[in-house]
Amino acid sequence: MTQARPLSPAVARPAHVTDAVTYDFDMFADEAYVKNPHDRILDLHKNAPPVFWTPRNGGHWMLLSHKANFDASRDVETFSSEVIPQAQVQAMLAQRPPGSPHFPQPWPINIDPPLHTMHRAPLQKAFSPKAIMALKDSIRELAGELIDAMKPAGTAEFVSAVAEPLPVQVFLKMFGLPVERQQEYRQVVKEHMESISVSDPRAVMMRMLKITAIMRDTLLDRKENPKDDIISMLWQTEIDGKPMGMDEMENFCVVLFAAGLDTVVNGISLGARHLADHPELQRELRADPTLISAATEEMLRRYTFTVPPRRVNKDTEFHGVTMKAGDKVMLFLPGADLDSREYANPEQYQLKRETVHIAFGAGPHRCLGSHLARVELNVVYEEMLARLPEFRLASDKEVRYHGGHVVGPDELWLSWN
Amino acid sequence: MKIRIEKASCVGNARCAAVAPQLFPLDDDGYIAVSEIDVPPGQEQLARRGARACPERIIVVEEDAPDGTP
Repeated sequence: MTQARPLSPAVARPAHVTDAVTYDFDMFADEAYVKNPHDRILDLHKNAPPVFWTPRNGGHWMLLSHKANFDASRDVETFSSEVIPQAQVQAMLAQRPPGSPHFPQPWPINIDPPLHTMHRAPLQKAFSPKAIMALKDSIRELAGELIDAMKPAGTAEFVSAVAEPLPVQVFLKMFGLPVERQQEYRQVVKEHMESISVSDPRAVMMRMLKITAIMRDTLLDRKENPKDDIISMLWQTEIDGKPMGMDEMENFCVVLFAAGLDTVVNGISLGARHLADHPELQRELRADPTLISAATEEMLRRYTFTVPPRRVNKDTEFHGVTMKAGDKVMLFLPGADLDSREYANPEQYQLKRETVHIAFGAGPHRCLGSHLARVELNVVYEEMLARLPEFRLASDKEVRYHGGHVVGPDELWLSWN
Repeated sequence: MKIRIEKASCVGNARCAAVAPQLFPLDDDGYIAVSEIDVPPGQEQLARRGARACPERIIVVEEDAPDGTP
């Protein structure tokens, strides 16, 4: 598990940033934030400007208000997803010796339209509500098995017992990876999870190469022998009228790995923590399980957990601040969904709230896996409530959190004995 | 009652269809398939809820005039 991370050194404030919009907040290591992330966000809303610049982690903007997040997410020309511009990436790659292996990139998450639109298109159908609905029964079966397996002990560390293995197994099933490679894959997932708040680009690169190495045989096999899985389906699609190639397939593998696993792990765990802390909500949902999907939406709002990065593409005046091309920006979605200008009493979890949130982002980069995540979240809560007696936080264990781009508990001990 | 949707701005949240699948048809990718919907009588409340559910705020409800003319 991750160690407490020291505060990153503060950098000097650039000339275009005023004192009034500066607020010192380390999104990876702020002490109050890693102690209780969403309480600290409510505190930020009281004490920090709605759009602020922090000198930590190299210096970057934080979009705290709902409106700033909504507007920036939808203005892809000003707020680029190419944190490193693709032209620069391509120039770097061109300097490698001829015959170097394809370097997989998590496209389309880190590219802008029109390239983004082109490379996202083949994935849409595989992750559409209809395609995901077809997986619901098998997801329920997996969730049931994991919950039954931890039940007899009367207590368990929920993240490693359920929240982590469930999405990994669903993912492996969707991809049709052979059983013998699943262990290797889980090992890479484990390394990925353990380094969640350490951003060493070299290690990230090595993991991307490992993922494609594990998947290569399966990728090649499905091209010739299609089966009922995503890989086979993707081979049969085109990109911009051209047949799918191995390079694009490798990019899809790494994007789905990078974006699709730790995110939902944290989402599941944050919701489970809330349920464990609110036995009255458990009783209400057990009495009427049809309320669970509304409960899930309000969990997503109350405990939004992803912080996608952007790069300012051109000088701009945005929500009263001056931003310069090249500035780094964080879409602080957990802040957006706790904004009192948008939600009355945002700190209150209200099952009856007609919740509309942007936990899955807004604009064209809307989380591709949102429909899958929703099913996984709903099914886990349904099965927990159906299979376990009233559960609570283990009294002798403190919940530990990590900050960063995906916020959530490192460990979550639950008890029901 | 009519519903107008800025179809080009749909990003596939499919929340409208989660509220009212019959009213809000989706294409195979899970994006809204139409830009205009005539709401059948009796389904106005459902249509309003479906419109409110859109995180992109691109669904507009056009209420009938108070005298009942569309």
